[in-house]
Amino acid sequence: MASQFGNWLDERLGWRSVWDTIFLRQIPKVNWLYTLGSATLFVSLNQLITGILLTIYYVPTPDHAYDSVTYITTQVPAGWLIRGLHHWGASAMVVLAVLHMIRVILYGAYKYPREITWFSGVALLLVTLGFGFTGYLLPWDQKAFWATTVGTEIAGVTPVIGQTLVRILRGGPELSAVTLARFFGVHVWVLPASLTLLLLLHMYLVIRHGISAVPGRRE
Amino acid sequence: MGEQKASADSRRQFLKTATAAIGAAIAAGFAFPAVVYLIGPVLKRQEAETWIPLGPTNKVEPGTPTLFRVTVERQTGWITATEELSVYVLTENGREYSAMSNICTHLGCRVRWIDGQQEFFCPCHNGVFDKQGSVVSGPPPRPLDQYPTKVEDGQIFILGGTDRG
Repeated sequence: MASQFGNWLDERLGWRSVWDTIFLRQIPKVNWLYTLGSATLFVSLNQLITGILLTIYYVPTPDHAYDSVTYITTQVPAGWLIRGLHHWGASAMVVLAVLHMIRVILYGAYKYPREITWFSGVALLLVTLGFGFTGYLLPWDQKAFWATTVGTEIAGVTPVIGQTLVRILRGGPELSAVTLARFFGVHVWVLPASLTLLLLLHMYLVIRHGISAVPGRRE
Repeated sequence: MGEQKASADSRRQFLKTATAAIGAAIAAGFAFPAVVYLIGPVLKRQEAETWIPLGPTNKVEPGTPTLFRVTVERQTGWITATEELSVYVLTENGREYSAMSNICTHLGCRVRWIDGQQEFFCPCHNGVFDKQGSVVSGPPPRPLDQYPTKVEDGQIFILGGTDRG
């Protein structure tokens, strides 16, 4: 019955060849370090799910941001869990992405023909750090406020355009409602869209080239 | 040889099943808290009720529903909001008072007492209620909601909710 339905769908969608291409790839003899990329992907899915859930109650204005976060954490059932997963997942994602990159560097897996995979991975790391930076402000507590004050101020050391950059980041000379709103917009729209596009490219390339083998002693 | 293949097959089958089972467990681990989280505020305890003072009894003219407006503080989510409550108070004998909500039982518009017709009228879908709040005509499915009332020191109180979670 199930396989009949699978056949019916396959005739129309051709999903089996897609499935096989993605999940039944030939892989060389590898080790557990090769799971770091998948682990990063898994945590990013965790961030996506919990992040969407947080926006159900979170309100990005100075009047309500802190109170709505407190409401999520203390009043909504499982709110502490959803927020906790998002909070710790954020750190885990950076750590896992960096470990993944260290593995790629040490194994020389960025070499021909996988340079674009590496570049897209570097861009993904930058997007991930952008998530961390913008997300840190959203609870709108003292730590968030001053961390972002300092963080945006750093852009000011850029020669010539430094102060302009700071104003663009903050949407004005100081942290304000405008800053919170734009950090939220970047955090939930700009960065997820960028991450999705880069991730599609990254995964396509991983599947297209296959994964590299552990380098031998003489390589 | 054949035996080896069979054991490879059963190994493959085991890994497939294990992967599916772990995947399902993880999916449930997300889905269950997500549902609880989404419907949580609905499941919260019923609103706390308190006696809300409306005003002096001598404002009520016997035989005519009199409108009282009071502002109450309501806790909604993380916001303490002030909300205006409009209540029609009716007495026939100056001793027993009844209090009716001005919210139409059809779809929640506000009804208005029309003295000339001696009836409550809802402008949204022409619902009509009589002086006691019973439905006269139109779509409302039930009479206007009544509040429990009490009178203390010449003040009318109604029992109403102030906390909506």
